[in-house]
Amino acid sequence: MSRIPWPPILGFGAIVLLAVLAPVLPLPDPVTMDVAHRLAGPSLAHWLGQDEFGRDVLTRLLWGARVSLSVAFAASAIACVAGVALGVAGGFLRGIVEILALRSIDVLLCFPPLLLALLVVTLAGPGAATLVPVLALVYLPGFTRVAYAGVLTARSQDYVEAMRVLGAGKGRIMLRTILPNIGGPVLVQFSLSAAAAVVLESGLSFLGLGVVPPAPSWGLMIGAARATMTQAPLLLLWPCAALTLTILAMNALCDGLRDAVDPHPAYRPPGRRWLDRLTPGLLPATRAVLDLRGLTVRIDTPDGHFEPVRDVTLHIDAGETLALVGESGSGKSLTSLAISGLLPGAARVVAGSARLDGTDLLALPEEALRRLRGGAMAMIFQDPSSSLNPVHRVGEQIAEAIRAHRPKAPAATEAITLLKRVGIPDPAARARAFPHELSGGMRQRVMIAIAIANAPRLLIADEPTTALDVTIQAQVLDLLADLKRERGLALLFVTHSLPVVAEIADRVAVMYAGEIVEQGATAEVFARPLHPYTAALLRSAPDEEGPPPEGIPGVVPPPFDLPKGCVFAPRCVHRAPACDAARPKLATLPDGRQTSCLRWREL
Amino acid sequence: MAWLLRRVGISLALIWVVASIVFLAIHLVPGDPAELLLSQGGASPDPAIVADLRDQPILVQYADSLWRLLHFDLGHSMQDDSPVGDEIARRLPRTLELIVAAAILAVVVGIPAGTVAATRRGSVFDRIAGWLAGLSLAVPVFVVGTLLVMVFAQWLRWVPAGGYVAFATDPARHLLLLSMPAITIGLGLAAVMFRMTRAAVLDVMLKDYVRTARAKGVAPRRVLVRHVVRTALMPVVTVLALHMGTLLGGTVLVEYVFNWPGLSGLLVSAVNGRDYPEVVGIVLVISILFVALNLAVDILYGLLDPRVRRG
Repeated sequence: MSRIPWPPILGFGAIVLLAVLAPVLPLPDPVTMDVAHRLAGPSLAHWLGQDEFGRDVLTRLLWGARVSLSVAFAASAIACVAGVALGVAGGFLRGIVEILALRSIDVLLCFPPLLLALLVVTLAGPGAATLVPVLALVYLPGFTRVAYAGVLTARSQDYVEAMRVLGAGKGRIMLRTILPNIGGPVLVQFSLSAAAAVVLESGLSFLGLGVVPPAPSWGLMIGAARATMTQAPLLLLWPCAALTLTILAMNALCDGLRDAVDPHPAYRPPGRRWLDRLTPGLLPATRAVLDLRGLTVRIDTPDGHFEPVRDVTLHIDAGETLALVGESGSGKSLTSLAISGLLPGAARVVAGSARLDGTDLLALPEEALRRLRGGAMAMIFQDPSSSLNPVHRVGEQIAEAIRAHRPKAPAATEAITLLKRVGIPDPAARARAFPHELSGGMRQRVMIAIAIANAPRLLIADEPTTALDVTIQAQVLDLLADLKRERGLALLFVTHSLPVVAEIADRVAVMYAGEIVEQGATAEVFARPLHPYTAALLRSAPDEEGPPPEGIPGVVPPPFDLPKGCVFAPRCVHRAPACDAARPKLATLPDGRQTSCLRWREL
Repeated sequence: MAWLLRRVGISLALIWVVASIVFLAIHLVPGDPAELLLSQGGASPDPAIVADLRDQPILVQYADSLWRLLHFDLGHSMQDDSPVGDEIARRLPRTLELIVAAAILAVVVGIPAGTVAATRRGSVFDRIAGWLAGLSLAVPVFVVGTLLVMVFAQWLRWVPAGGYVAFATDPARHLLLLSMPAITIGLGLAAVMFRMTRAAVLDVMLKDYVRTARAKGVAPRRVLVRHVVRTALMPVVTVLALHMGTLLGGTVLVEYVFNWPGLSGLLVSAVNGRDYPEVVGIVLVISILFVALNLAVDILYGLLDPRVRRG
């Protein structure tokens, strides 16, 4: 939980303090009239002047705060207790209680709040005593909803299930696990209700349907001052200012509370992107479609920065598939996103070059990069169900890719041809389908159709089969392999699955904790790994004929807390003192293979 | 279309429940409703009505009131015996006009401002707009209205302090008189629209399908309009509609400040005079509109998001 900023706490605290202390402060009585000095301006005895009955304005402001805040807090407290009880009971007991709780809330929500308040005031008559239950009724549904949602979330949590299995009673589970969990959102709801209640109370009082004169209330004061607006405009401004400042402070407090309860960290805009264009120019150019050198990605956080991808160098030739393989968090997806210029906001490239047919993608302005994306360089992402826009038809989404690069092309017809090419039966009809009307495998085929729409040179596939089941996986891999052969694509295949690598990749680059630790032809790497991490990874993959899989002891070090030496050393069984001394560089062997292990010869 | 029928069915059921609750609320107040009416002062009630309230069994009265409601008969005012329905029909369009004008203002200002603020997050524009929105949300409508009257009507004398002229009588003056209350309501609503749009756009910009659109090489403006704003608008439209519903009863304060003879003003005078038939009539009409508006939102949602139509 982060801290709540102090200005709103201080401001609101001061208002509450003044309201509480109003009776003991050396102030005139709030209801004593002095008609001889009506509408008198500010004086030593009356700092803010006197109102239309000669009463002291400052006193009435402070007493008004007292009335407003106590009504708002009392109402919110009642709404909170009753609403949470209703929500928890509904969410926890289920059945008829749940239906009753939710439906009664729905009915309450059929009345606009002010209308509901007016209806009750009609029946019960105005006055502070009516206001409290009225406002409580108005704000009750909010608490019920928050509590109900919280209970639904909490009851599905493993530890609540566990307590139930252990035989804990419902009441005990409710008290011990669920109530503390919904505390944050309920607190936020409370602050929102209290702030809204101050507004509603003053509004009703302004209409003469809330607090009854001569009791002081900001709404009443504003209403009364309207009549003397021309003679004494200040009289109108004071309560307006008091009301606005109070609500501002309360709103700021609400925002602060909400941020404190919300686990998402605050956003910081990234700094300027700095590119080193010098190093690649000094090296001889290759014929590779993609030539990535020294790529380093940095993420800025409020507590400093770290580099989840460091000094990554790889290349892919035409008609070749390179698999970039590694565990979650190894930086393989960030690498592929950096190449396409689609890094999320907080991440940026700080060093390296990525040449696509000789053009450095990392040095291109966004507009030029955009023309390449979906054109010469295409992407397929992991989850086809979230990667397609749910509100547009799939044919239209393919056509959009075509039109973005070839505005004059017959996009709709081409889209159907593409759907046919990726193996979708009845393509003309399927083009009119929405993504949710297709299966997962079909959706990924649509994504592939989008990717190949403009005959790309480079296809980046980021875990394209992970979200699919095994048989569909095989079909999609076959399709990608066919397309690669047919069109001479360079395919960068990002995955964590070794069986998939074996099936599709010509060469493989193994990534660990943001670095490439080994690179080489797939068959050779699988047969004779030159890095202990690759070896451990291969042993951890299940194989029908070989020995049972072994796990790798330990975990991937977090990118902000890397070891000084070899990044794999803490988990490595072959660790030597030299491994911890300094970070080893990726070494290229005579046969073209690469490893960053210092001891590869011995092992 | 089963989805649509179900939604309409739920809405009708809600209206029935609301009507029943309003009826019960009047009759379950402790004591004899007739005596209550007399003892609370206000207008002197029609003896026939009092007799009805006393003599009929409650269930008969309930059935009777529902039956009359089905025929759009809301009874007669206790104050001047005029049909409640007629007065509501005369005033409702004025309130709706006010709400629609405010909503148009809010949409025109809030949605573009929210989109720009989201795309330039952390910029000077974002910060200033966010601060202004926070301020507009903190000032209650009747304070805004009163201050606008003081500045523009009393000091600068640009506009009249309030009142109403039918559009047919004097279109220019009608719009002039409409502008101040519409701006008063629109200001807070625009702040809500701004915040919602900004949050929704920021949220949608992180979606995978927006990344796909960018990966296709679609131009940024087109990505924003077709993929981001189109989806982001769904929650914004919902919130707008819900706020418009709240405004149906919430224009009371503004109508009062600007002397705008809408439905809410009638409600206040009815509440003050304890004119039960009138209060019940207005509450029912507004609640029914509110439910209908929610229904409209759901249908609109179905049109915007094809996934909803399935469920």
